[in-house]
Amino acid sequence: MSIDMSQFYQVFFEESEEHLATMESLLLGLDVDHPDLEQLNAIFRAAHSIKGSAGTFGFTDLAETTHILENLLDRIRKSELRLRADMVDAFLQAGDVLRGMLDAHQGRGAADPAAVAAVCERLRHLSDGDRGLPSAPVAVAAPVLAEQSGGAGQRWFAIDFVPAAAALGRGIDNLLDELRGFGTLEVVDRPLPDDPAGGRWHLRLLTDRAQESFVDQVDFVAEAGAWRIADEATEAGEAFGFFEDSPGAPAALASADDGDGAYGFFAPLAESAVAEEGDGFGFFAPLPTPAEAPATAGDEAYGFFEPLPATAAPVVEEGEGYGFFAPLPVPPAAEPLPARPVEVPVAIDKPAARVAKGAAAATDSSIRVSVEKVDQLINLVGELVITQAMLLQSAAQMLDAAPERLLNGLTQLERNTRDLQESVMSIRMMPISFVFSRFPRVVRDLSAKLGKQVELKTMGETTELDKSLIERIADPLTHLIRNSLDHGIEAPEKRVAAGKSPTGTITLKAYHQGGNIVIEVGDDGAGLPREKILQKARERGLPVSEQMSDQEVFNLIFEAGFSTAEQITDVSGRGVGMDVVRRNIQSMGGRVEIDSMYGIGTRMTVRLPLTLAILDGMSVAVGDQIYILPLSYVLESLQPMAGDIKTLTNQARVVQVRGEYLPVVVLHEMFGLKSAWNDFMQGIMVVLDADGARVALFVDALLGQHQVVIKSLEANYRKVPGISGATIMGDGHVALILDVSAIAGMARNHTQKAG
Amino acid sequence: MEPMTQAGATAEDDLLASEYLTFTLGSEEYAIDILKVQEIRGYEVPTLIANAPPFIKGVINLRGIIVPIVDLRIKFNLGKVEYTPFTVVIILNIAGRVIGAVVDSVSDVLSLTAAQIRPAPDFSGTFDTKYILGLASVEQRMLIVTDIERLMTSADMALIDAAAD
Repeated sequence: MSIDMSQFYQVFFEESEEHLATMESLLLGLDVDHPDLEQLNAIFRAAHSIKGSAGTFGFTDLAETTHILENLLDRIRKSELRLRADMVDAFLQAGDVLRGMLDAHQGRGAADPAAVAAVCERLRHLSDGDRGLPSAPVAVAAPVLAEQSGGAGQRWFAIDFVPAAAALGRGIDNLLDELRGFGTLEVVDRPLPDDPAGGRWHLRLLTDRAQESFVDQVDFVAEAGAWRIADEATEAGEAFGFFEDSPGAPAALASADDGDGAYGFFAPLAESAVAEEGDGFGFFAPLPTPAEAPATAGDEAYGFFEPLPATAAPVVEEGEGYGFFAPLPVPPAAEPLPARPVEVPVAIDKPAARVAKGAAAATDSSIRVSVEKVDQLINLVGELVITQAMLLQSAAQMLDAAPERLLNGLTQLERNTRDLQESVMSIRMMPISFVFSRFPRVVRDLSAKLGKQVELKTMGETTELDKSLIERIADPLTHLIRNSLDHGIEAPEKRVAAGKSPTGTITLKAYHQGGNIVIEVGDDGAGLPREKILQKARERGLPVSEQMSDQEVFNLIFEAGFSTAEQITDVSGRGVGMDVVRRNIQSMGGRVEIDSMYGIGTRMTVRLPLTLAILDGMSVAVGDQIYILPLSYVLESLQPMAGDIKTLTNQARVVQVRGEYLPVVVLHEMFGLKSAWNDFMQGIMVVLDADGARVALFVDALLGQHQVVIKSLEANYRKVPGISGATIMGDGHVALILDVSAIAGMARNHTQKAG
Repeated sequence: MEPMTQAGATAEDDLLASEYLTFTLGSEEYAIDILKVQEIRGYEVPTLIANAPPFIKGVINLRGIIVPIVDLRIKFNLGKVEYTPFTVVIILNIAGRVIGAVVDSVSDVLSLTAAQIRPAPDFSGTFDTKYILGLASVEQRMLIVTDIERLMTSADMALIDAAAD
């Protein structure tokens, strides 16, 4: 029965990250003065899901922090507390801390215990701060009911539980403290301190609160399902906190009114709904008749499952629905305590989470597939495309000898493979909203820090691009936005003085253009100061002149160490960054351009290929070898005339192209190959734009243009200078893809050495 | 009781045979662990890699995977380096990588027990002893049992980035 939980960790990390992202975007969208109950519930659900699964997987630190977060959220959503802006800040901060913990658990960096403690303290403070205030009337319907049934308003609750291994020690102390806060607590029976299994606790609590106000706390500390809370007045009726909504139990009435009762996903169900839900999800089927079951259940660790055998059939059905949970639900009832307590909750939390999720997004059906599998699929399809090209080539060589039906079939195959390739590639495509969604937060935090008023507008969030690009574009874009915020948008006074609205606007826009995706980061700020940039460039000894075009001047800000900021802030101004942005974007095969008007605004345009897996290339021949040049670097090609090529000292050569001298890179010399030609006049010069510098690459011949599938050379070999990857040509041979920036760099070094 | 079980285990180990693929380089015969061998195929002209050492012949397309080809004959100065229709490439699967090795010919697959493999004398030859697990003699033939994984991942071969540095 031992299950290796680590195999589910990845799923947990991904899910938790999604929940955190949901939480954050909901928090940012929240109207502090008039919070939408649905949104609050959704935030609560997200936090609760994280807590649930964190507990399941034994990440206690995560679970504890979310627990505190959840307490505060719960009070807000029950209108016991009013939502305030500082609470939203605290929530966002908590989200960051949680993300840090998640990263730490995945081995990326370490969580900062001080930050964690600070956030927990802040949340606790916010939550406890107004404990004394009377609760709003809508808030808890249950206590009202309790008063009716109990008369005096205070009731005794008997609480039994077996603490989870993870909660031993501090967790129990916390629980006891918390319960003391609710009323009078008596510890009737406590286990021996050295009881390895944790032992059973028996408490009595005299309180005027409804039991749902402390059910969560007990549930959190207790071993999954191994707890019982009984109202001593009404006894067995509501023995199970979980089932408080079940028909017949007094609380049901309350929570039917109280739409946001204990557990988001059970609460709103009216009597009939509970029964219906029970049918749908075998788990809850036994609810209508829990009366005597809990009496025995309380004494056993797995009371929760006790009622199950009666309705074995639906459970099995459920098991089939969720493949890997199947063996779990039934056996624990009969089984003694398993060695590792964390294993059991899978059965409970997982389906519960699915139910919640399923209810929330029944229409949005998707599956989680590992990128590896998708990549394998992409590779196979790539192979298919190559095979198809091979077949077509051989058929073409047969000319008239090829039967027409074969040719027809091949044409059809070509169409099908292309369609297939497109659909497979689209699996990797994700909407750019995955990146954009983080920026409202960035803008919010930064503008507050800088004392600026900034509005972020996003457009084209549904534009799709490759997942690997999504991951890599986030940092450069963040940097561009920070840059716009810090340098672009002026302070409100300045803006008003310039006749602009005090609130600046940053526009994020994504769209497709040809085979590229274009992402624009625009602001209506001060614009780039041409003169100042030129002056700085001169100070730094860069070769500049007044005749340079605006574009060329603006491109200077991408130079390493270049900054025009008068003051270095902790946001930007150190001059590192823009060069990193450009380098990152170039490493993705993209480019970045700047348009700016002084006083009006600036627009940075990032152009990226749609995918890293396919590239538009030009095949060139050098000796008996074929190389692929990425088409995006190719400006033009020409056959040089006799007088066009001049030799500088030693080896360095330049070619004159329309009055301009470009350095010549002779590919066969660089790669130690034998050219088919003896002089430059017979070959071809391809003019390349490498990082803004133009070079002429001498090759034997141009062969054609292809879409090539990029294959890694490093997977089985190692990095080769001047080569960025490999591809497979139609004839099955390997062709290497040239790394234009590196080749230009190598040529420059060569020239410098020679010069 | 204890020592006896121990001895029993060792004897069993000795009897436990592993399978080895044997191949020739010039006049020498080598044996490598067959579990490292993915397949054996004929030689095809690879795509050159610029500025690579001479024994790295280039890369080939093996069903969509780019595989580097190493000519062990050039690396160890053994045999005549010529490429005929009978030249054989052993595709190895080593440390998660796929590497092709050109050899003169592949002989057969043999079962060798640990007892059959004798430690190699410390000779200094072209073939560094640290890659040799031992020598085995089978029917008058002397086989050089090679740690192919160690050899291929070594810095000498310059096949892997980290090792090359």
